[in-house]
Amino acid sequence: MSSPLHFLTLKRFHEGLLNKEFSALEMAQEHFTYIESRDPEIGAYLALHRDEAMRQAEAADLAVAQDKEMSALAGAPLAIKDNILIEGTRTTSAAQILKDYIANYDASVITKLKKAGAVFLGKTNMDEFAMGSSTENSSFQKTKNPHSTAHVPGGSSGGSAAAVAAHMAVASLGSDTGGSIRQPAAFCGVVGLKPTYGSVSRSGLMAMASSLDQIGPFAKTVEDAAILYNEIKGYDPLDATSDPRADADVSKALLNPTLGQIKKLRVGIPEEYFIDGLDPRVRTKVEEAIGVLKSLGVEVKPVSLPHTKYALSCYYIVMPAEVSSNLERFDGIRYGTRHPADTLLELYKKDRESGFGPETKRRILLGTFVLSSGYYDAYYAKAQKVRRLIAQDFDEAFKQVDVLVTPVTPTPAFRIGEKMSDPLSMYLSDIFTIPVNLAGLPAVSIPAKGFVDADGASLPVGFQLIGRRWGEADILGLGQYYEKAVQ
Amino acid sequence: MLSKKELEHLAELARIELKEGEEEKLEKDLGAILDYFKELQAVDTEKVAPMTGGTQLMNALREDVTGSTDDTGKGAAGFPDKQDGYLKVPPVF
Repeated sequence: MSSPLHFLTLKRFHEGLLNKEFSALEMAQEHFTYIESRDPEIGAYLALHRDEAMRQAEAADLAVAQDKEMSALAGAPLAIKDNILIEGTRTTSAAQILKDYIANYDASVITKLKKAGAVFLGKTNMDEFAMGSSTENSSFQKTKNPHSTAHVPGGSSGGSAAAVAAHMAVASLGSDTGGSIRQPAAFCGVVGLKPTYGSVSRSGLMAMASSLDQIGPFAKTVEDAAILYNEIKGYDPLDATSDPRADADVSKALLNPTLGQIKKLRVGIPEEYFIDGLDPRVRTKVEEAIGVLKSLGVEVKPVSLPHTKYALSCYYIVMPAEVSSNLERFDGIRYGTRHPADTLLELYKKDRESGFGPETKRRILLGTFVLSSGYYDAYYAKAQKVRRLIAQDFDEAFKQVDVLVTPVTPTPAFRIGEKMSDPLSMYLSDIFTIPVNLAGLPAVSIPAKGFVDADGASLPVGFQLIGRRWGEADILGLGQYYEKAVQ
Repeated sequence: MLSKKELEHLAELARIELKEGEEEKLEKDLGAILDYFKELQAVDTEKVAPMTGGTQLMNALREDVTGSTDDTGKGAAGFPDKQDGYLKVPPVF
């Protein structure tokens, strides 16, 4: 008896589809059936797109029947974070102010995935406007960690991580501004990739902090993440920060890395990431993973990223500054519900008061503060200079090594409600993921083998591989060999 | 760290009405966060050029050519208040 279809990896699904072992329609149906039984407990999805998904699956099956050339994603049932636009469907960013917003165009990644024949199961829960580290800031529902429903799935892409971890999607898309793909991937025990800034188009991604945001995949294996990344990357004139280098064909190195190439990689361990605040259970798991990497034959040596400790402050100045600007568009005029008001100013203030949650307001106010006259130089301008120093640390390290290995999070998943009253403690859960966004680098979160005991639950732990810009093939190649080694 | 007056000024700039009881918590939270930022003052940035974005592109130019679109009015469908495909707004003053 073979295992249920919804347990399949993307790679295995594709092979089975081509061999006509099962149909894309069966795969989609089985996912929906399973979602119905499992998601009431997990809360990963905000909306299901059943009818359209069935049509997309049938189209894939028709292509198989006609022996047409198929992409690696044809018929693959995916979940999409609810800040990525799919034309004609509700797209809310889990925000009250957008609860009735219907997207009127496709995000560029969605256009690519539609062309590849993918199936969209539905939209996933997230922290409002992608601001948070636990998905508790969603205006609509809480998402639970599939490994323990008393724990958070991480955030902000918590729904996309939980959907894949609970086998309610074969893979998914999230967005990562300061760790919003890698942190929930680590908490949920799946693979999450934050690509190089400029490699995946941001057109149709609701902007949070534009100099940091990047769309990326969640998957069950590193190989699947590489497949999905290879399909969504590429230059896009609709995104002015999209980089033409994104069109370089690196599919061979991404999808079929050779051990010969991988063994040549030099791996650095940045001492600043193994600090006192690192939970010993996480430290042990990451050190075990480093041991596995060594066993592959790669050279491992210590490196230093001296400005790491300033990354959190730097990020919490740069990011809210961009947030406060980007969220100006949510003014109650073009989006939201109009409240009775005598003047335009009063309308703005009322609509934004009722349309935004506490964390969104906190960040808008913080961003307004650091950009305001009298404080700009001391905060925003200073943070931009520190950002340069953090990026230069990486440049220096990448003269000596090709890949860095670090923890993803200081602790395993925390309990629901544990950090909601203290924003600073919530922010600290992103200290190991933030520097990568500030520097524009690619990084992947990979589950370390095994689980750790954490207040009554058995939880996964992730480790992070950071590459130089455009070094996705290095980190995903090394990750694929790690995966083979621990299987 | 952040006075009530400063907070009210920020809220005015950000066009957000603050609710009763919300101010105290915001003052406390923002104050703690701003205190945390003080660590940056220890970093020597005298000769450092600010990093103003995530991209390494110098310019992102495109050909200045006209195009046509058939999606006029698509965006209007989602407006909270509209008339004949136009956005309706309340009086400015």
